[in-house]
Amino acid sequence: MSLIDIDKLTFEYIRRDEEGGVEGITTAVDDVSLKVHAGEFIAILGANGSGKSTLAKHINAMLLPTEGQVTVEGMDTTDEGLQLKIRKTAGMVFQNPDNQIIGQVVEEDVGFGPENLGVPTEKIIERVKKSLKAVGMYEYRKKDPGRLSGGQKQRVSIASVIAMHPKCIVFDEPTAMLDPGGRKEVIETAKQLNKEGITIILITHYMEEVTEADKVFVMSKGKVAMTGTPREVFSRVPELKELRLTVPEVTDLAWKLKEAGLDIPDGILTEDELVRSIKKEYSIRKN
Amino acid sequence: MRNEDKKTIEDSRIPLLVADHLVYEYETGSANTVRALDDVSFTIYPGEFIGLIGHTGSGKSTLAETLNALLTPKSGSIYFKGEDVFTKGYDRKKLRSHVGLVFQYPEHQLFEETVFKDVCYGPKNIGMSRKQAELTAYETIKKVGLPDECFYHSPFDLSGGQRRRVAIAGVLAMKPELLVLDEPTAGLDPKGREEILDMIAGLKNEDNMSIVLVSHSMEDVARYADRIMVMDKGKKLFDDVPSEVFAHADELEKIGLAAPAVVSVMHRLKEAGIPVDDRMALTTDEAVSEIMKAFGV
Repeated sequence: MSLIDIDKLTFEYIRRDEEGGVEGITTAVDDVSLKVHAGEFIAILGANGSGKSTLAKHINAMLLPTEGQVTVEGMDTTDEGLQLKIRKTAGMVFQNPDNQIIGQVVEEDVGFGPENLGVPTEKIIERVKKSLKAVGMYEYRKKDPGRLSGGQKQRVSIASVIAMHPKCIVFDEPTAMLDPGGRKEVIETAKQLNKEGITIILITHYMEEVTEADKVFVMSKGKVAMTGTPREVFSRVPELKELRLTVPEVTDLAWKLKEAGLDIPDGILTEDELVRSIKKEYSIRKN
Repeated sequence: MRNEDKKTIEDSRIPLLVADHLVYEYETGSANTVRALDDVSFTIYPGEFIGLIGHTGSGKSTLAETLNALLTPKSGSIYFKGEDVFTKGYDRKKLRSHVGLVFQYPEHQLFEETVFKDVCYGPKNIGMSRKQAELTAYETIKKVGLPDECFYHSPFDLSGGQRRRVAIAGVLAMKPELLVLDEPTAGLDPKGREEILDMIAGLKNEDNMSIVLVSHSMEDVARYADRIMVMDKGKKLFDDVPSEVFAHADELEKIGLAAPAVVSVMHRLKEAGIPVDDRMALTTDEAVSEIMKAFGV
């Protein structure tokens, strides 16, 4: 059984004018089916307005399907009695670090979730400690979250989610407001959690962040436009550009060199691969 | 223009803005004093496109807000067209129309019912007549690339990228000579980022506007800027043409930044004995022509 099963999901919302009259209906997610298996690292790419965040919010029952069905570990998200359990199973980390932290002290913020779930105090202390250690923020446990950097705040947000013992974490553009250092911190943390067995769903605009994902879904106009490994998806440069996306800079350079006539393989993802294939091509041509 | 003669050309020009030994502190005198700007000096010339880079907390946003006198430095000053903007009696309100500042997520500040009214707000506020303000607003909305049918829409009905254009138009309508943008592409998809940056580059190329682009993205800055200033812990660490700044890859990495992947690839190719000039290529297109040259194609 898959951990998350999205089956023919359609989500529509009604646009209203100033008087509250109906102006029209927007289909943000249009007949999308996808499965996520336990332990996978999934990435979802898509232009602004492609429906990727709307899709993500269905995974922990923040939004409910207009049509179709979403289940998390077999639990239907429309079953109100299960929603708390669903949110415990699939946690979410959002874009803006400042909107997710409520505590005055880091450890207090991380303890809030388990406390809310009714976890006994001594267990909460244990969970907070483990969660903060998992994201490398344990030494900041007594600090004021307001004084942390963006990357650090996001790691505290992640710890708060981990403290609920989720099986899956959905990251909705977690690095959009961070600098390169902060981005690296958050992505490395996500990868580490994945190694420890947590399923990761990462939504992002930064192509470089998804090169190590197991599978990439590309959304466009509410539909899944492409699916594949990062290498497969990033081999389709013109199509991605058509969808207002791009490829990592290294992949772009490799693709342009191929277009210019060099024998370079498709879907190059790292500097090492690119340098190696240029060197190989160079020695063949010069001999 | 990435040639060596650049400095000598600049020196013969009249500076638009001079920042002179700027020092800015948060919570001066307390135990938590942070020196956000620590003796920062530079000159901006008309028509320059400057990339201002640094990690969070490096002082780049503080610097951006000092440029139009929103923040007053502890010491040092800003000279705009030769005049000290922090002297008593200097018209700082007027300065803010000459030095336009676009904040992060500027679309959060849109408030009028229609796009057109929102863009009219700035020019009216600085004393343009209604007719003049409307004419300027019209031109500006066209300039930022919004379609005609947007004019009377509520800004809130537009897409994220379009809303950001409206917000930038609101600042441009005051006809600044220097436009300072703090992370104007944050949260946009790749195409949206490119569109906004192309639009900004157009302001420099067509109107000779000076641009200061505060950014986290070395790739963006490599593609568009004539000059890069790197901030670290309130100090100006580098201030040079992009190829010179990116030559300090190790130092950039140490402060949480990285040269664009292209620069690093070119450097490694050169080290591997492939005859490329690694300082000539900052973007993928430049790298392609440099590599193909080495291949003799």
